[in-house]
Amino acid sequence: MTTSTIAPTSRPGAIPKSHPLDAYLVRFNLWQRTEHFLVMTVFTLLVVTGMPQKYSTAGFSAAVVHLFGGITATRNVHRVAGFVFAFLMALHLGLVIWKTATKRFELLTMVPDQKDFRDALQTLRYYVGLEKAHARFDRFDYRQKFEYWGMLAGSLIMVLTGLVLYFPALVARLLPGQLIPVAKVAHSNEGLLATLVIIVWHIYNAHLNPDVFPFDPSIFTGKISRERMEKEHPLELERREEAGRAHPPER
Amino acid sequence: MRTTPYVLLALALGAAPLASRAEEPAPAGTVSATSTPTAGPTPAAALPTNATETEKCLVCHGKDAGELLLESGETLSLAVDPAAMAASAHGRKVVCSDCHQDLLDAETPHRKLRLASKRDFAIQFSEGCKKCHAANYTDTLDSVHREQITKGKRTAAVCSDCHGAHDITPAAEPRSKIARTCATCHEKISAAYVGSVHGKALSTGNEDVPTCTDCHRSHAIADARAGAFRLKTPETCGNCHANEKLMGKYQLSTNVLQSYLSDFHGTTVAMQAGEEGAQPVVALCTDCHGVHDITRVSDPSSRVIKANLLVTCKKCHPDARADFPASWLSHYQPSLQKAPLVFLVKAAYWFFIPFMIGGLALQIVLHLWRMIVNR
Repeated sequence: MTTSTIAPTSRPGAIPKSHPLDAYLVRFNLWQRTEHFLVMTVFTLLVVTGMPQKYSTAGFSAAVVHLFGGITATRNVHRVAGFVFAFLMALHLGLVIWKTATKRFELLTMVPDQKDFRDALQTLRYYVGLEKAHARFDRFDYRQKFEYWGMLAGSLIMVLTGLVLYFPALVARLLPGQLIPVAKVAHSNEGLLATLVIIVWHIYNAHLNPDVFPFDPSIFTGKISRERMEKEHPLELERREEAGRAHPPER
Repeated sequence: MRTTPYVLLALALGAAPLASRAEEPAPAGTVSATSTPTAGPTPAAALPTNATETEKCLVCHGKDAGELLLESGETLSLAVDPAAMAASAHGRKVVCSDCHQDLLDAETPHRKLRLASKRDFAIQFSEGCKKCHAANYTDTLDSVHREQITKGKRTAAVCSDCHGAHDITPAAEPRSKIARTCATCHEKISAAYVGSVHGKALSTGNEDVPTCTDCHRSHAIADARAGAFRLKTPETCGNCHANEKLMGKYQLSTNVLQSYLSDFHGTTVAMQAGEEGAQPVVALCTDCHGVHDITRVSDPSSRVIKANLLVTCKKCHPDARADFPASWLSHYQPSLQKAPLVFLVKAAYWFFIPFMIGGLALQIVLHLWRMIVNR
């Protein structure tokens, strides 16, 4: 699948090749780690300031809103955080497009292909005992791709509907007025969906999953153990070691 | 019923005074005034020996009682209408000295009261009402009227301004009396109310509709400009408009409160209600429907009828144009008939969220199960 797109040399932004003797491999570069940290922080702030607006009569809502200094202040924090989030999303897309155009980036690692559907099916069959072997994944498995694209699509909905709700009069000058309550319903529900996916799915995979419990640090340290690579991303490991053997790092 | 034998009785009968002037409480802060009684006391002998205190007082304070010249130059009539007094709520339950305590134990004719002005007298005299009406009096301490008096606006209402003095009758009988009472000072607002859907109904004898005191209270009248009062507007209107039984009589929807509260405006108001000193930053019921001049929503002059709605929206959203009012669902629940797009998006998420989260949770459970089996 993505073999042909792997950069054979250590161009900036490319996936680093690995030596077979390395105990830890680089999985995320500094920008990816920074980006995750920023998105995580802003996302949390958006959830914390957004949920009290969705569930305005719940007990926790009054406490949270009070903490931020009232509903107007809470909304202002939410709006600023929303603009930061939109900026991070735009930056991400801009970088992806630019790096792809300049061939500094293996874009295709995130694009779902047929293998992902086979992998998903094989994994489920393996779980229920219909398959003997676990699917072998590349750099990102089908679950990670699913979360990435889900997050990207969800973010797009959140940013667009958020803007509609922030500029209702302007939007109603150009488009039907009914789109404003539509945006409210979508923003509210998409926000809930995103929050639940993070709580149920992301927290499980990054924290509660017995494979990584209590915490998968790779998105913060940028490193992943060889043992986990063998188990979780064997195809990527093979390719990187092949590249490593072909071009041994200077030691 | 007071049964204390009053000393005034003895005074009226010409007996020796039992109390000296030195013991009389003098109203604080007053200066002496001259009195110009036009008629002298009626001979006491005209009264039967079992006459009540009131009857005795009326010997002098009948319709020819004359006037008291106050320091301000005003004159205060000393006459009391016996018929009005007998017909009043106090009627025979209360005797003169219950209120006019400072004249108790006085000789006859008793000393001239020293009063600065009529207004001073009314304000001071209202203090006496708490003796029997403690709860209502305490409520007035928190009222905007009291606040204004404290600030020096001495025309603000005290007890006797609304209730009267010797002719006190129940303030809310009939209910239409309330608006007339308030109209004494709040003329314009009262006129607007009389022309409103509520006011019109009240004038035809409908007792279900609110009058002044239902929204503003009777004694603890809050400042209607204060944030705390304004933020209570949905609750105030909801007292009737969310009451199924009452609204059912008029085929009015009780969903108006909930649909307001679940929308942006209502959510904001509900969340602001707990904030100290907050002024509403969004539209309240009254911002769209009007306050005292509120009309039926189908009335051609209604602010919320479709033809007038954009003008109403523009009060807060000055850049609103033609289709902006469609962004407000007019208290309707989204349905395939009303706001179909909103309904469909809502329905899609209603299906999609459990489907998505359920699917993810299922995969987690299967994963855990596989790990346990493999062990």
